[in-house]
Amino acid sequence: MSGAAAILTHDRQRLELSALSAPAVIFTVAMIAFPVVYTIWLGFQTFSSTGKQSFAGLANYSKLMSDYEFWHGLWVTIALYVLSLVLQLVLGVWLALVLFHAKRLPGMVRSLFISPFMMPPVVAGMMWLVILDPSLGAANYILQAFGLPPSEWLASPTWVIPTVALIDTWQWTPYVALIVLGGLQSLPPSVYEAAQIDGASSFKTFQRITLPLLLPTIVTAAILRSVDLLRFFDIIYITTQGGPGNASNTLNIYGFRVGFEFFNLGYASALMLTLTAIVFGAVLAFNRLRGAVAW
Amino acid sequence: MMDAPITDRWIRRLNLLQLVLAGIIIMTPTVWMVLSSFKPSFEVTAYPPTLIFAPTMENYVQLTKTTPFVSYAVNSLIVTIGSTALGLLFGIPAAFAVSWTRITWPAILTLAARMAPGTLFLLPWYVMFRQIGMIGSYTALILSHAVITLPIVIWVLLPTFDGIPRSVFEAAQVDGCSVTRILWRIALPLVASGVAVSAILAFVFSWNYFLFALVLSNGDTKTLIAAAFNFIGEGSTQWGALMAAATLIALPPLILAALVQRWLVSGLTLGAVKG
Repeated sequence: MSGAAAILTHDRQRLELSALSAPAVIFTVAMIAFPVVYTIWLGFQTFSSTGKQSFAGLANYSKLMSDYEFWHGLWVTIALYVLSLVLQLVLGVWLALVLFHAKRLPGMVRSLFISPFMMPPVVAGMMWLVILDPSLGAANYILQAFGLPPSEWLASPTWVIPTVALIDTWQWTPYVALIVLGGLQSLPPSVYEAAQIDGASSFKTFQRITLPLLLPTIVTAAILRSVDLLRFFDIIYITTQGGPGNASNTLNIYGFRVGFEFFNLGYASALMLTLTAIVFGAVLAFNRLRGAVAW
Repeated sequence: MMDAPITDRWIRRLNLLQLVLAGIIIMTPTVWMVLSSFKPSFEVTAYPPTLIFAPTMENYVQLTKTTPFVSYAVNSLIVTIGSTALGLLFGIPAAFAVSWTRITWPAILTLAARMAPGTLFLLPWYVMFRQIGMIGSYTALILSHAVITLPIVIWVLLPTFDGIPRSVFEAAQVDGCSVTRILWRIALPLVASGVAVSAILAFVFSWNYFLFALVLSNGDTKTLIAAAFNFIGEGSTQWGALMAAATLIALPPLILAALVQRWLVSGLTLGAVKG
C-alpha cells in the first residue's frame, strides 16, 4: 500500500468513526444541549398572567434570593439528602459485608435482595403509602404490637422527611450494597491473609484495612446517590406532592410546580438551573474527595 | 488455637442471622403489596391487618374493568420499546466509535442527562413540543425517554467493546473491511450478550421513568407510571386495586432485572465501577 493510499484510508476511517457517533451526538445536542441553552434564556424572561413574555434581566434570580419557598425547598432538599445518604451508605456497607460473606447465595435469592431498586420508585411510593397509612396501615400495627406509639408518618409535617428518607433508603440501600460488594470482591485476598496471620481481630481488620481500601468505592456510591437524592422527585410526588403543607417540598418538586402548575416558566428555569448547579457542585466535590482517598 | 473452628461457626451463624434479617426487611414490603392485591376488598383495609385470607382475583378484575389499565400498559410498552430501540440504534455505533478512538466526550455528553434534574429539560421540551403540537404524541415520549436509554446503552457497551482484542479488528482491516462493516459483522456478534444486557437495563429504566410522561403525555398516551397517580386517587378507598396495579407495574422490570442481576453493577453505575 502506498503512503498516499494509507493516508486516504486513515482519513476515510476517521470519517466513518465520526459518522458512527454522529447520531448519538446530534440527538444529545438537540435534546439536551440546545434545550439547556433555551432554559438559560428562559431564566431571564418573565411571563405575565396573560402569557406575554418580556426580558427581565436577573429579576428571577433576585426573586429567588428573597423567596421563602426557595430557601425552605433548599433546606428540605439538603435535610432529605444528608439523612438518606448517611443511612444508605452505612446500611449499604453493612449489607455488602453480609452478602460478601454469604458466598454461596443462589442467584435467585441475590436478585430478591436487589429487587427494591429495580422496581419503579413510583411503585415503592404506592406500596409504602398503604403500609404507612396512619389509621389502617401495617406499620402502625407493628409499632403498637411492640408497645410503641403509632406515627402519622407521611401525614406529619415533622416526620414526613425522615419517612421519605426511610422509603428511599429501603429502595436504594441494596444498590449501594451492590456497588460496595463490587469493591470488596476486587480487593486482593492477600491483604486479609496477612492481617489474619498478624492476629488482627475481624473488627480491626475491617476498620484498619477493608474500610480504607473501600473508601474510593464508597465515594463512588455517594456520588451516584447524590445525583439522585438532590433531585428527589418520584416518591414525594406520588406520596405527598410536597406536603403536608410544604413540609416535603424539595427544590425539584417546587420547581416542577412553579413550571407546570403555575406556568411561570421563567422562574421555574431559574430554580432548575440553581438546582443543577448544586448537583454538579456536589459531584465535583465528591470527585475531588475520591481523588484524595484513592490508593 | 483449639477453639478456632467453633469461633468460625459462630461467625458464620451470626452472618446468616444478619442475612436473614436484611432479607426480611428488604422483602416484607413487596410481599405485603402482593398479598394485599389478592385480598378481598373488605379484608384489605381490615385492622388489625390479616395474614390469612381466601385469595381472590377480584382486584385485578376490577382494575381492568374500571380503569383503562390495559391501554396504559400498551402505551408504556410502545414508549419503552421505542425508546430502547432508539437508544440501541444511536448508542451501539457511538459506543463502538468511542471504544475505537478513545475520544470519550460523546459518551460523557450523554451522561449530562443522568446528572441534571429532568425538569431542566422538561421546561424547554414542553415549550417546544407545544409549539409544534407534539404534546401527547408517542414521538415526544419516545424521544424524551431515549435521553434515559442512550447513556445506559453507551456505558454498558463501552467496556464490552473495550474487551475485544484489537488484533481482531486489525486482521479484518487488513482483509479490507471498513470500520462500519467491522462493527456490524465482527464486533457486534462478539458483544451480543452485552447488547442484551444494555437493552434490558434501558427497558427497565425507561419503563420506570416517571417525570417526562407526567407532562408530555395526554389521556390517550399516558404510560402506566404516569397513570399511577390516577390509581392513587381512586385507591384511597380501593387499596386492593391500588396494590394490584402496583404489582403489575413492578412485574416487568423485576423479571428482567432477575435475568441480568449478574451484570447489574457495571450497568447501573454507568462506568463508574468496573463490575
